[in-house]
Amino acid sequence: MQAIETQNRPRTDALPPGAKKANRLAATKFGGQIVHDYWSDLFSAKDDGRKVIWYNGTYIPPMFQTMDLAWVHGEAWSAYLAAKHGELPAQRAGEDRGYVRELCSYARTHIGSALLDLRAAVDRVAADPTDERALTMSKLPPPDMLVNAYPYCSSGQQWDQQIFRLFGKKIPIFNLSIPLLWGGRSDAGYLRGSEWEERSQYVAKQLRALAAFLEEHTGRKFEWDRLSEVMSYIKKASELRMEAMNLCTAKPSPASYFDWIVSIAHVNFLPGTQRIVDYFELVKAEIQERIAKGVGAVPNEKYRLFFDGMMNWNKVGWLAEKFAAVDASVVAGRYTHMSFWQEPQLIDVADPILGMAQNYLICPNNHGAPVMVNQIDELCDKFDLDGVVLHASRTCRGMTNHQFQIAESAKKHGRQAMTFEGDVVDESFYKDELLNTRLEAMLESMDSRKSYFAKTA
Amino acid sequence: MDTLLAGFSDAATHSLENARRWKAKTGKRVIGSFPMHFPGELAHASGALPVLLQEADTEITVGLGSFFPFYCGYTRSIVDQALKGEFAFLDAIMFGDHCVQLLGSADAIRCYMPETRILFNQLISSMDAPWAMEEARATFAQLKKEFEELIGYAISDESLRNSIRIFNKNRALIRQLYDMRKAGRLAMSARQMQDIIKSSMVMDKETHTGMLEELLRSIAAKPAAKAYGVPVYLSGHFCQPPKLALLDLIEGCGARVVDDDLYHGYRYIASDVEEQGDPLDALASWYLARNRKVPCPTRSDGRADWDLFLVDAVAKSKAAGVIILMAKFCEPHMYYYPEIKEAFERNGIAHLLMETEHESMPLEQFKTRIETFLEIIRRRAAA
Repeated sequence: MQAIETQNRPRTDALPPGAKKANRLAATKFGGQIVHDYWSDLFSAKDDGRKVIWYNGTYIPPMFQTMDLAWVHGEAWSAYLAAKHGELPAQRAGEDRGYVRELCSYARTHIGSALLDLRAAVDRVAADPTDERALTMSKLPPPDMLVNAYPYCSSGQQWDQQIFRLFGKKIPIFNLSIPLLWGGRSDAGYLRGSEWEERSQYVAKQLRALAAFLEEHTGRKFEWDRLSEVMSYIKKASELRMEAMNLCTAKPSPASYFDWIVSIAHVNFLPGTQRIVDYFELVKAEIQERIAKGVGAVPNEKYRLFFDGMMNWNKVGWLAEKFAAVDASVVAGRYTHMSFWQEPQLIDVADPILGMAQNYLICPNNHGAPVMVNQIDELCDKFDLDGVVLHASRTCRGMTNHQFQIAESAKKHGRQAMTFEGDVVDESFYKDELLNTRLEAMLESMDSRKSYFAKTA
Repeated sequence: MDTLLAGFSDAATHSLENARRWKAKTGKRVIGSFPMHFPGELAHASGALPVLLQEADTEITVGLGSFFPFYCGYTRSIVDQALKGEFAFLDAIMFGDHCVQLLGSADAIRCYMPETRILFNQLISSMDAPWAMEEARATFAQLKKEFEELIGYAISDESLRNSIRIFNKNRALIRQLYDMRKAGRLAMSARQMQDIIKSSMVMDKETHTGMLEELLRSIAAKPAAKAYGVPVYLSGHFCQPPKLALLDLIEGCGARVVDDDLYHGYRYIASDVEEQGDPLDALASWYLARNRKVPCPTRSDGRADWDLFLVDAVAKSKAAGVIILMAKFCEPHMYYYPEIKEAFERNGIAHLLMETEHESMPLEQFKTRIETFLEIIRRRAAA
């Protein structure tokens, strides 16, 4: 494998002396260990004789885990590279082939990474043994199967088609269609209506076909009891996650959006085992303890905010500190709170397929705007939030599509709204000064508003 | 012939104005439709005029406040037109495509045009899925049901078959023009060809067919004009047509467009719908088959290869090179461009990529690039 070049960038997350720092949940360290173990396990999959699936989209790994497969979530891999500041060589490889920079940066990074791997296989170039990070990255096992399960975003499906074609159309591919819940019929609403019922059955039918696809390409029977077992852990972990999130109605909020961001992997693509249940038990217990002691996720919570949009994976820590430094607690978000098994009660562990399909359908951008915006407004009410920060992720249009409507609705409900520009894993689109000035202006505006209401009360 | 061509041009240029007039004159409904996969036949069978909503030539102004600038010109222009009230006269708008940017514009239109009926039915985009036929048929059946709710009575199979026949005839006549142009028997400019196809997207089909028949008669009556210039193939541009000024520039630089796979071109008229049997089955089959006839990068289909299609189409058209027109921010095209480029390189096909935008057209730069491209082709031919 060719060594993946990593960047030696100057640290941009250094805070000025005396700045208030985010008070991250200590439990997330344990969470980080589980994530690390997942990647280590993945890198040794081929050595253990396991087949590897590359997939994109929603949280379908329970299907793979049931069959003892190893799996790579393309988005997670791109985010992993970005978080380790190793995304540029992959992105450059994509650009070299002719992929335009305006294309989904998750896809560009993942495809670029595959291009590097293919090139390395042809050139028989090994990773630089002195570069530990490059060695780790070069361990990504190539796929034996491809599965696409992208709700809403067309880019996701085309991305996997490119991977399929890049490998010469020789790797079996399964496309799971998860149609948009447009919500145009008279009986439409959140988790209800004829469209909801029809679409739930449609996705459930395809999941059963996916089980048959996995049987065909592994030569083994799909063990439905095993799926139930896996889903029992996921359901329990998801219930704990939602309970812990709901505790953040407390003031100050004991955990922040950024704590939930670093806890996404566990309900997105990590194996459903007792470990993820343990993790969310720890998270919940720590949150309860913080509430009892009056400890917040930011040292001096003055503003409570909602974060809309896809995460900027190059900037997780940077953003957490930036908001904490100005006493703003980002309490909830669309990506964290409206996704990843957020309706665990729909899952019947004894026969989980329909509930799985339904949770896949309600990914945060797969609703038509009226239902989605209403869900966001309800979250803002529930957590008593003052404003909405919208991350306009340049190449993730699935998440930016509704942001004007979200901002308009926030303002109608008496909340401030601001947008800043960035991207999911292409750092070059991030504009720090724009965020600084807009955040400052929004907080000033909140102060003026509070002061006005205090005087007139 | 000039009068006829001027008629096509007028219809293509003033699509909404003409549709408003048609509505006032006939008292019938006008249904707006998004590109690229919804059959106008269903709307036509309901007695309405289906009008494919077009990117406007005007600047995007109020839309800037409701849609991000990093979206394709088509979606931004559509939202802009919706906000300006241009679509208020439509009785319904049908869409439900897969492209994420179109989905965003659909929701924006629903938000800003709350009084307008939206017929949203998302077509399956995994064309090789085992359930693709069943799902596509179900989508068209739901759409038919929604049309029936709109008009208050059932659309008979015979009525739908009749619409299919009318649309097939129109497509077949335009294909005749394409064949003649490809064979060098018709010196029609790219602008004129676009006008003919674009007007077919927005006009009453039978009227348009009548004009086409007249045009074909007048072409037959005149000796074939000799076509000049370097033969080139145009590829790309999906939902929106390439700007006419760009087409003029390409030909003005010495090229002669002999064929294309543009949506406002051959892609639109390439496939017919079966006229016998169950019409919903026929429409579903048409939807799935047309992707193999002219592969579309917005669909997912392991059996369709756009790059190989293009290599073959270029050879058949005897084009000496390909100009790829990529609308800025068009994700499907961005995904497939590298594969096409590599296929052209493998097959020694000269090609030029031009990224187009709604707002600005660096025509002078384009001119230099096109002239250089044509010069390379000429030198290659002379070598």
